[in-house]
This record gives sequence, C-alpha cells and structure tokens, in this order.
Amino acid sequence: MVSENPDVVIVGAGAAGLMLAARLAEGGQSVTVLEAGPERKLSELTSSQIWARKLKWSEPAVSESGDHKIGHAFNAGSGTGGSAIHHYGVWLRMHEGDFSLKRDHGLGLDWPLSYADLAPHYDRVQSEVGLSGDADQERWRPKGAPYPMPPLPLFAQSRVLARGFEKTGRHTSPLPLAINSQPYQGRRSCQYDGWCDAGCPIGALGNPLVVWLPRARAAGVRLEHGARVSRVIRSASNAQHIKSVEYLQDGERKTLRADRIIIAAFAVQSVRILLSSASEQHAAPGNHSDKLGRYLMTHPAATVFGLFEEETYPHQGVSAGQLLCHDDYDNKNASGGFGASQWMIGHAIKPHDLLGYGTGRPDISGAELEPWLKRAARHLGNMTLVCEDIAAHENRITLSDRLDDDGIPYAHTHHDLDPAAAARWTQRMSEGADIMRAAGASEVWSGPRIGMHILGGAVMGDDPAQSVTDAFGRVHDTDNLYIAGTALFPSSGAVNPTFTLTALASRQADHLLGKS
Amino acid sequence: MPASLSRRHLLARSSAAGFFMVAGQWLWLTPHEAEARTFEPQILSSEQCKALSTLGDALVPGAAIAGLAAYIDLQLQAGDQSLLIGKYLGVDTSAQTSFYRAAADNVIAMIDEHTSMQTVIAGMAADTLPEWAGPPASYVLFVLRADALDVTYGTPEGFENLGIPYMAHIMPEQPW
Repeated sequence: MVSENPDVVIVGAGAAGLMLAARLAEGGQSVTVLEAGPERKLSELTSSQIWARKLKWSEPAVSESGDHKIGHAFNAGSGTGGSAIHHYGVWLRMHEGDFSLKRDHGLGLDWPLSYADLAPHYDRVQSEVGLSGDADQERWRPKGAPYPMPPLPLFAQSRVLARGFEKTGRHTSPLPLAINSQPYQGRRSCQYDGWCDAGCPIGALGNPLVVWLPRARAAGVRLEHGARVSRVIRSASNAQHIKSVEYLQDGERKTLRADRIIIAAFAVQSVRILLSSASEQHAAPGNHSDKLGRYLMTHPAATVFGLFEEETYPHQGVSAGQLLCHDDYDNKNASGGFGASQWMIGHAIKPHDLLGYGTGRPDISGAELEPWLKRAARHLGNMTLVCEDIAAHENRITLSDRLDDDGIPYAHTHHDLDPAAAARWTQRMSEGADIMRAAGASEVWSGPRIGMHILGGAVMGDDPAQSVTDAFGRVHDTDNLYIAGTALFPSSGAVNPTFTLTALASRQADHLLGKS
Repeated sequence: MPASLSRRHLLARSSAAGFFMVAGQWLWLTPHEAEARTFEPQILSSEQCKALSTLGDALVPGAAIAGLAAYIDLQLQAGDQSLLIGKYLGVDTSAQTSFYRAAADNVIAMIDEHTSMQTVIAGMAADTLPEWAGPPASYVLFVLRADALDVTYGTPEGFENLGIPYMAHIMPEQPW
C-alpha cells in the first residue's frame, strides 16, 4: 500500500528499519522508509576491501573524542541495509544476566525487559533469517530453539586455534552465524571466500537486502533513498504527538506526515535527529530529563594474531570466524576487572585494509615485508576478543557546532572506557596471547583496542526520568514516536548486537500491530 | 576529469581506476597505468606526489609502480566519497587533502642530501623529527603504509603475488 501520508514512517533502511517495515506492512500498515544513503543492490557488491568502504558511513562526518572512540566510520553504514549490509553475520543471543547489570552488580543500567521477553522473538527471527550453528555445543547458550541449519565447516586455521583453547582448559563451539551452511529459503549456501565485509552478493549471509527487503517490497513498502532526515516536528495542538518528519532529498526540503514515526537510523544518527528536533517551546523528544544521547557504548575489542609452523590458510572461511568461546561470560565479577567477554576464533583475513595482517604489523616494512606477508598468507591464525562496555552517563552523543552544507548539525560523540571494563580487556588479551602460544604459535602479537559496534544513546527503561523510551521503544514524552535499533540498548553484553536488535524490533512490531 | 562527467558518474564506474590527465588528455586508467604514463596530478603537486610515492615505496616496495601517488590524488578528487583508508582512521574526508599535502611537504622538507628516507622513516616512527609539523608523524606513517598496502596488495594481482587465491564473488572491473 502506497499513500502520500502513510500509517508509518521509518527512518533508516537497516536491519531494524527494514525488518519493522516488512512486518508492519505485512500486518496491513502503509509504510514509507526514508533512507539517507543510496540504493544498494546485491549485483554491485564487489569483492574488494577497498570497494567495501563505499558501504560504510559516508554522509557528513561524526566527530569523536574520548579515550575509547566508537569508530563511527567503520562501524556504521549507509544505504539500503545500513550497517547490516557489511556486518559479518555473528548472531548471538545476549545472556540472561546482560539484562540486569545494575540489579545484579550495581553498575550500568537494567533493561525494562528480560531474556524471557525476547526469547520467543530470538526464536522466530532465527527461523526467518536462517542461522547456522550447533546449540548443543554452546554450553553457555541461553534457552532457545536449536538453529535451523548445521554449523559452517571448520577450516585449518580454526582447528589449529581450537588446540590452544583445549590445552588451556577452555571450550569452543561453532560460531553461530546468519550465513547459510546449506541452501535456505531459496538462498544459496556460503562459498567461504571471506568477502563478507564487502557485502554478500550471493545472498548466503542474511543481510537485510535478502531477508527483509523482498518481504517489504512485496508488502508494498515505499522506500525512498537519498532522503536525509533533519528533524521530527511536534503537533502544534498536542505536544506529545509527532506530526511529521522533515527531510532533504534532491536539494528539496520535504515533510511527510504519519500516524507513527520510527527512528531506526543507527545509534548516532537516531539521536542526532531527535536532538535536532528541539524547539523554543519544547525540549528534544525524549530529552525531558537530559538522557537523550547518554549511555553511549561500544565494545572494547582487539585481535590476537599468531604465526604457526603448520599451514593455516587464513584466507579460507568467513570474516566472522569459525569458533566461539564464551567461557566465564557470566562471571562478570571475576577478579581482574568487570564484564563479560567472548572470543571469535579463526577469521578469514586479507593482507591489507584496517583489519588486515599487513596493516597490523607497522614494524615490518621494506625488503622484509613481502616475505613476511607470504608467510602470513599461509601460516597465520587470528581471533578477536569482544568485551563488555558499561553504560556511563558521561558517554554521550551531542550536536556539534558545525553545520553541514544543508544547515544540519553534525553529530559529536564522546566515549571513555570504564577502568573496570578496560582492566577486563587487558586481562583477557593477556590470556589470548597465552591461548595462541598454547596452540603452537611461534610468534604472537596483538592489534590495538578498538570500538566494535555502537550502542545506547536513546536507552529504554521503566523510569521516564532515567531513560528515553519505554520497553517497546516509544519515546516517553510522545505518543507516537519510536526508536528502533541499538540506540535502545541499556547494556552491551559482550555479544554482537544484530540478533538482539532484530529480536527487539520483532517485539516492537508485534506491539505496534496490537499483538502484545 | 572531463567537464561532461560528474564526480558521481566517475565514482559509480569504479573505486580505483579513473580519469587521469596524461599529456593534455583525460584517459581512463588504473593508478598503475597512470603512473606509468606520467599522469598530471589534480590535487597534489608533482613534487608532493613524488614524495608520497617514494615514502610509500620505501615502506611497501612496489607501491610506487603500483600507482600509490595516482591512487591518492584520484581519491582526493572524490571528496567525501574518498575510499582512502584514512576514512577509518579518523582522517575526516573533508580534511584528507590537507592531511596528504602536509605529509608530503613534511617529507620534502626532511629529505636532503644528508638525510635518507630510511632516517626519515625511523624518525617518523618514533615521532622524533623536531621539524615535523601537523598530525603526528607516526600516525602519518601508519596511514601511508596502509595506503601503500592497499594499492600494492589489495588487488587480484597483489593476492596472486602472495600466493592467495582471490576467490571473488564479483570480480572488480578494475584492479579492486
């Protein structure tokens, strides 16, 4: 159904936005999606790490400060599929304890819902998207339906690295992935060539282009590209009601009215849009208690590398890795810092680009470089640590004083890492080096600490004075404005967030359709 | 680039190859081809191109002939659509031109008959060059080395040189 003033306007065509668009349209709502970036098609997803940079955020820059920056340009995306078009497909459920951090440990924030509230949506979404894994081997996995596909095969690199975990008394399981290990719902199985970062043109990786977009199109969703939202506008007669969205497209300033408005523009831009919507009469929606933009989080992460005598062929597999370790995940209070952590083990890796092994060894150059690269190309092992961030009031998204060419303020982010989370990261990295040596690596080194994933900024909560939205993502001081995506997360856990943000969107869709 | 072609048109065709001015004519070339045919840079000066090319080649042998300077100059023309790795490393696309110009000018100023490129590289890595101005030298070194890796090894030919099968889903029309 297409109408000039649809029932629902969704801002952002990423994982949350397109999922909600498909579900709401299938439920009888007329839906328009406004996407700031360009249209993306599977047929243009070129296998090149340099080309892949086109998929990353390339709209006006986001400035960053703090001792642990969020890495917006790398983590964010633009265009159809949003950041999920270049995500690696690691789909992990948050653990039960991730939802009650403050209640259990006196740190950070609690969610206004529990794992049990999300569990049915995790189950439903994994069936719709198609996940490969082995639930039985994930001894740490919260309760849930088994995966619809068996795990991806293991390649030489992961078999070598698994030895290190085993020798140090740790456990591994196949990494659960939104990547087809066999044909699924008309989509092909993976070819294990490690080009996931450039998007998956064969549809084996369950990105929004192959999962939600076809359903959204079939249900009549109208999708506008190059439509950059500047703000939402309150009704003059009812300040709690958001009457329209203002956006720029083809050099024109346009507005679109809708009964419901959902902002799903990834954490930073979702907050930027709301902050830009303040007026002389009213604070920005959701900012009545100065919580909008706060509790910005990013997982502290880093990769540990090793060189082995045996051949590992690290170009084989998928970018995400092949194995997972969640040992001690739930023991957040263990000595040595605070927070959960996980290892993703055995990434398919390239010689260049930000995560490439050549880039990660700036100490090797000149005549020594190529022989070293040739050795690494056959004998490298690598695995990535992801640690939990702790939501802090001071870590926030604000509007910059700088305006872009259209007069829209840039976003600025500030993020410092909590010392306890930093200590956990340091501890685990040291353990990672031990694991790599136990696996037999003759040379071990680490990449720098980076910010992986972006979460928070418009957190959900029970108390309107301490949060931005309610448990369904409705902005507290409005009756029809919703947030979707990772901006809602009150805590980060130590897992990749796409599964949870999609399950959360599934729950929102049911709510908006009156099913819950 | 030719006035009849928009910047977006150029970018839509390829992320690396592009129109280079060679002997007064716009030609569609790869950076490697542009370098071989002595392209005329549009953003950087010839001297700046030479400095970056020499530095990059000292870090990643083969980068000069692969067309490092041509690649950087072409990407700088793309403005906010630049694919240079600086995008990931905190070099705002709006500041990339000044970043590379400053890097090149620093190198030009450091190199003389008494100072070798290896000495400059060692000083950059340790941030011990007293005359260095602008972004930290070690950071500049990291960015330029990454660019040099991109242009030298980020291609099917570069992979082949390392003995890695490229295994593209969709093979780049141009080197990457």
